[in-house]
Amino acid sequence: MSDIDIKRISYLAKLKLPQEKEEFYANSLKEIIKWVDNLKQIDTNEVKPLHNVINATESIRNDEINKHNSVEEVLSNAPERAQNFFKVPKVVD
Amino acid sequence: MKQSISQIKNSLKKKSISVEELHDEFFKKAKLNYNNAYNLITDKAQNKSLINESQKRYDNSNSLPLDGIPLGIKDLFCTKGVRTTASSKILSNFTPNYESFVTQQLLNNGSIFIGKNNCDEFAMGSSNETSHFGPVINPWKNKNEPNNNLVPGGSSGGSAAAVAEGSCVASMGTDTGGSIRQPASLCGIVGLKPTFGSCSRWGIVAFASSLDQAGPLTNCVEDAAHILNSINKYDFNDSTSSNHKRDDYVKDLNKKFEKKIKIGIPSDYLKDVSQDILNQIENAKKVLSQHDIEFIDVEFTTTEYALSTYYILAPAEASSNLARYDGIRYGVREKGENLDDIYLNSRTKGFGDEVKRRILIGAYVLSAGYYDAYYRQAQKVRRLIKNDFERILRDVDFILTPTTPNEAFKIGDKLDPISMYKNDIYTVPTSLAGLPGVSIPSGLSSNGLPLGIQFIGNYFQEKKLLQLAALAEKELAFNE
Repeated sequence: MSDIDIKRISYLAKLKLPQEKEEFYANSLKEIIKWVDNLKQIDTNEVKPLHNVINATESIRNDEINKHNSVEEVLSNAPERAQNFFKVPKVVD
Repeated sequence: MKQSISQIKNSLKKKSISVEELHDEFFKKAKLNYNNAYNLITDKAQNKSLINESQKRYDNSNSLPLDGIPLGIKDLFCTKGVRTTASSKILSNFTPNYESFVTQQLLNNGSIFIGKNNCDEFAMGSSNETSHFGPVINPWKNKNEPNNNLVPGGSSGGSAAAVAEGSCVASMGTDTGGSIRQPASLCGIVGLKPTFGSCSRWGIVAFASSLDQAGPLTNCVEDAAHILNSINKYDFNDSTSSNHKRDDYVKDLNKKFEKKIKIGIPSDYLKDVSQDILNQIENAKKVLSQHDIEFIDVEFTTTEYALSTYYILAPAEASSNLARYDGIRYGVREKGENLDDIYLNSRTKGFGDEVKRRILIGAYVLSAGYYDAYYRQAQKVRRLIKNDFERILRDVDFILTPTTPNEAFKIGDKLDPISMYKNDIYTVPTSLAGLPGVSIPSGLSSNGLPLGIQFIGNYFQEKKLLQLAALAEKELAFNE
């Protein structure tokens, strides 16, 4: 196992770790990754990955519009809104 | 003495108690929130019309299967118009506009929700200590150290403590790697995790979608069967919901098995366990052998890889599921100069340490260069684990294991994440295989704390599994 680049991982996870916590998380991550490393001992060349344990085909539906929510309901939990939209800071310069 | 759902329903039918009196009795206890088992207790005014409707049905002798029964609901189920937080700061202001499938079934069957049960944040934990709203306290005390507060287990710790303290008749939990069975065991009650695909995940705050499953925590096996009858249904809105015919789990619960049954005891599970835990298995074996049940030693070849597999797959799925919490559409938004700042600040301040840790593990094992070595390899090993269970279940009808490797421990005692993760050693393999498992109380430890045993059955064989659990429950109670 190579060193863990905690800055890169936290960037991927959209988390901003305070400097003093970086080492804490890096060490914790290292220990856990070392702990799960035993899976590498197993020869799985002939094994297919398992996605769905019950072997059933996942159900799909026709792409039809079903109206369950009103605009008001959808926006009722919005931290900030403007008319019928979620409001965020300006994105384009 | 705690009463079963059937007994309570009889009292309601005979009018020796009214639905409102029943509600008030539990509501008052819940209101004290003595063990912090609730994040929210439903206002009586909010339940008033449900109470009245339920009473009317009793008056007209057409009561529903769970009519008037006060339930606790893990704060992971979306409940329409009732705050749902997943015990996280980031959802601490969230009020869903819809009802989860499972809780809707419970409402359709007449039950009344006493409140939302505290749990580990986003169901990530085995001790209920990661909740933003503080730890839940186990109602049980170690008789040798009666002043210490103990954990109830997790993640459905509030649901387990609520049933154990008697502030609701039964509760709903969710189980990803043991989160129903482990707290049930540590609180001395029954906990059932149905087969993956039995009970819809729609409207449950997602943790690891290939593992999450809803199930009941109850005082007795029969109550679990009553709840399962209500919630075990196909749901079109959950793409992994299985469309098979469901049984009536209450009917014939106490019926004898038609033929001799075989139960496997995995010898590899019992290496290095304490005498207290070993006694539970030995005792169960002794009392059940008097029936037409044969016990066989079995051995898994994949047990030592189960926790590693789980702690790759579950965080990977979690990091993906929790990407939705960004402070934009719902949940708590933190201030930021620009959009990216809002994401970063909302997530960093909104998630607790354990959730952050799991998101980081997940992001790592899914990242370029590591995906094949960790995530894909774990998915392959998951198949081997499933095959291992299928091999053993060709020779035996059920598997008997301890539910947990230890009794309830002191709040704050386990700080190291790996030693915490090891709590789930007996429940995680079943979850990875997607099989049903039920934990029932089996006796007390030398410290006077409850311990549980777990029966594992075959896919969608909850009926037989509960029949066995009911038999064991009766025999073990008699034995005590």
